[in-house]
Amino acid sequence: MLELTDITKVYKGGKRAVDGLSMTLGHGMVGLLGPNGAGKSSLMRIISTVTRPTSGTLRYEGTDLTADPDAIRRHLGYLPQDFGVYPHLTSREFLAYLAAAKGLSARSAKARIEELLELVNLTEAVKRPLGAYSGGMLRRVGIAQALLGDPRVIVVDEPTAGLDPEERVRFRNLLSDLSADRVVMLSTHIVSDVESVASDIAVMAGGRLLRRGAPEELMGDLEGRVWEILVDPSAVSAVQSHYVVSRMIRTSAGVRLRVLSAQPPVGEATQVAPDLEDAYLGVIRGAADRRSDDRPAVRR
Amino acid sequence: MNLRALPGLTAGDFKDRVRRPVYLVVLLAAVGLGYLAVPPADGRWVILALGEYRGTYNSAYVGVATALAGALWLTLGGFYVVRKGIARDEETRVGQILAATPVRTALFLASKFLSSFLVLVSMLGVLAVTALAMQLMRGEDRGIDLIALLKPFLVLALPLLALTAAAAVLFETVPVLRGGVGNVIWFFVALVVGIGGQSSDAPLGGLGVGRAIDSMDAALTEELGKGGDRTFSLGLTQIAEPLTPFRWDGFELAGGFLASRLLIVVIAVALALLPAFWFGRFDPSRDRRGAAAKAGAEDEAAALSGAGDTGQTAVPVYRPAPTAALTLPKTATESGGGTFGRLLAGEVRILVGGVSPWWWAVAAALTVAGLAVPAGLVTGLVLPAVWIWPVLIWSRLGSQQVEHGMEGLLGAYPAVRRRLLAEWGSGVVLTAVLGVAPLIRMALAADLPGLAAWLAGVLFIPSLAMLLGVVCRTHRVFQAVYLPIWYLVVNKVAALDFMGAVRDAGAPAGPTPLFYAAALLMLGAAFLAAETRRNLTA
Repeated sequence: MLELTDITKVYKGGKRAVDGLSMTLGHGMVGLLGPNGAGKSSLMRIISTVTRPTSGTLRYEGTDLTADPDAIRRHLGYLPQDFGVYPHLTSREFLAYLAAAKGLSARSAKARIEELLELVNLTEAVKRPLGAYSGGMLRRVGIAQALLGDPRVIVVDEPTAGLDPEERVRFRNLLSDLSADRVVMLSTHIVSDVESVASDIAVMAGGRLLRRGAPEELMGDLEGRVWEILVDPSAVSAVQSHYVVSRMIRTSAGVRLRVLSAQPPVGEATQVAPDLEDAYLGVIRGAADRRSDDRPAVRR
Repeated sequence: MNLRALPGLTAGDFKDRVRRPVYLVVLLAAVGLGYLAVPPADGRWVILALGEYRGTYNSAYVGVATALAGALWLTLGGFYVVRKGIARDEETRVGQILAATPVRTALFLASKFLSSFLVLVSMLGVLAVTALAMQLMRGEDRGIDLIALLKPFLVLALPLLALTAAAAVLFETVPVLRGGVGNVIWFFVALVVGIGGQSSDAPLGGLGVGRAIDSMDAALTEELGKGGDRTFSLGLTQIAEPLTPFRWDGFELAGGFLASRLLIVVIAVALALLPAFWFGRFDPSRDRRGAAAKAGAEDEAAALSGAGDTGQTAVPVYRPAPTAALTLPKTATESGGGTFGRLLAGEVRILVGGVSPWWWAVAAALTVAGLAVPAGLVTGLVLPAVWIWPVLIWSRLGSQQVEHGMEGLLGAYPAVRRRLLAEWGSGVVLTAVLGVAPLIRMALAADLPGLAAWLAGVLFIPSLAMLLGVVCRTHRVFQAVYLPIWYLVVNKVAALDFMGAVRDAGAPAGPTPLFYAAALLMLGAAFLAAETRRNLTA
């Protein structure tokens, strides 16, 4: 449905946010992971037609979106990382305005808005102006607007920021449900946001797509390379300077470290099954090592 | 009060302000003003004149003319440049960080005052350099006397700039003056200072121009060998014949005069520090908007903790549903017609959102007055009144998306042009609704030219607001541009009469067709600017 070919985005001043990225997106959820500054938000804005790529093509069902962005806008639900609202409108008025902008019929918009307000648990706050909403409530208004018009493509950038843990789980499950017959792209730097719901993971850094695959494939890359060791607190920094440490837990017996390494890092290391966070760190650090060989992040 | 933090706070704020594009715009305007203040010998305009005479362009005269023009301009325009220093700290949340430091409120206010003052002084400095260049360019007297040139900048203009900077700080700390109301009020305050301050009876010597004028009059009397009733004029004026130059070498500074100028600076400092008694140090619970937002946040917190069920609060409480799987709504979405009407309704709601009932009450009173007053007052009084009242609301047009941070969200929505048209349409609706009483009166009187001029106004005002809003991305520019135009119309300048308020033998004296063309051109330019910006920023 969505085809990105050699997409590059260079901002004023020469900052290359996206660098020759190509990918195809079909039904299902793609979890886009990457550190801060990886180019995730730029890529999301390009897919949402808010930003035009400097070069490369973006096609939706064969239509070139740089030439005809409206071809996707009617079928798109986009939740940016940061967004504002008109503070004097109520959530219902705000959604009604956006529904009109999307071209929904009056009858359809009215029913849809009520359903969405219920879905995001805002029915009891609909009479209050948005200016009096908390950050989490505004986030839910953002989620509701993204689902106006039954979108075929849903692009959500750090969607769970500001939501409480319960809401995060519910929203992740909703996205998972929606992805059955839609394109859903979820960008985050929080691995746990995608590991339970995304069937497809893409890892970005430095504007490039480093790795894409099913979570099992990414975790398979590190099979036999994840270890747990127990060290004295004074030895932690020495271990960190030689290995990628994905987790650290202080116990009464010492500090338990989860280490990525091709060989057992110390004598009493226990091999453990890799999880997605290990896989993500492995991809990111592997790329960093390829750029600079100063220090091997994953020892071989 | 520990003053060591003052230079750092001031420097940071100053740098932030001068790196904004609007600073450059006002700076260029100051250079243009410097040019206007020293017209060519055969020029048909003048800023400073004594009857039919002007001084020879030596350092003393060029200094006074440019300094006075600068004082007037920077008192008015400079205020709009330097205000929002505190509001910006609030918007960026830097204020909350500062509030948690040991910096005392008075010191914080002093830093805002000083940085505003420095911004204005830097503009005055550019004017002084321009004055020097203009003296050399005009070539009537190439002898440079820096003291004579700079003296008027220091003793005439500088105290007024201190007052302007202080007012900018003061206005920001008084809730009712923080927004557009403050902008409008300052426009009239600056007018009073600029016009009333020329009087020799003005408090503290006003602009301080009296001393220079007395000295000029004495020099002219001596040169002509006779006195006379020569009218002093300050402000851009068109003249039929070039003025006759006379020799004037500046004015002496007396101790009393200097003391009164210094007193103005002292008053300015006191005014700037006065808000220390009530300034809330960015505590959101101490202003109404903040309290409302806090209430929202607390509702949610209460709901999450279960406290919302106690029923102890009167505001609606958010109660999350029990954990359950979410499912997408089943209502089929369908595209439909009539969306422009709903978009327009939405834009009207956005435009007039948050307007107080008092505002509507005044609008209604003006409408009733418009229907009741004698026919002779309808166009000359009621029409200008109803079309100044919504100035703060019109100024939202074109810049609302940016100012509310909606660009990122709406960028992914279709029908960009239709939304822009609906936004303009909301301005047209508001203008027409406010002007309905004059419309009815002119229709009853079969005043067709008046109706045509009224329609031109209905189209012209929102078009101007849209263009300035889209291009400048702030509501302040429209306020700064529209108020002088309106003021000139009220003062019977027919060439700018976009509404049919200036009458000649009962018919509108303004170039009505020109305003139709201007409205269309500005609307087209607004569309073009929005499209261009979209392409540039995308």
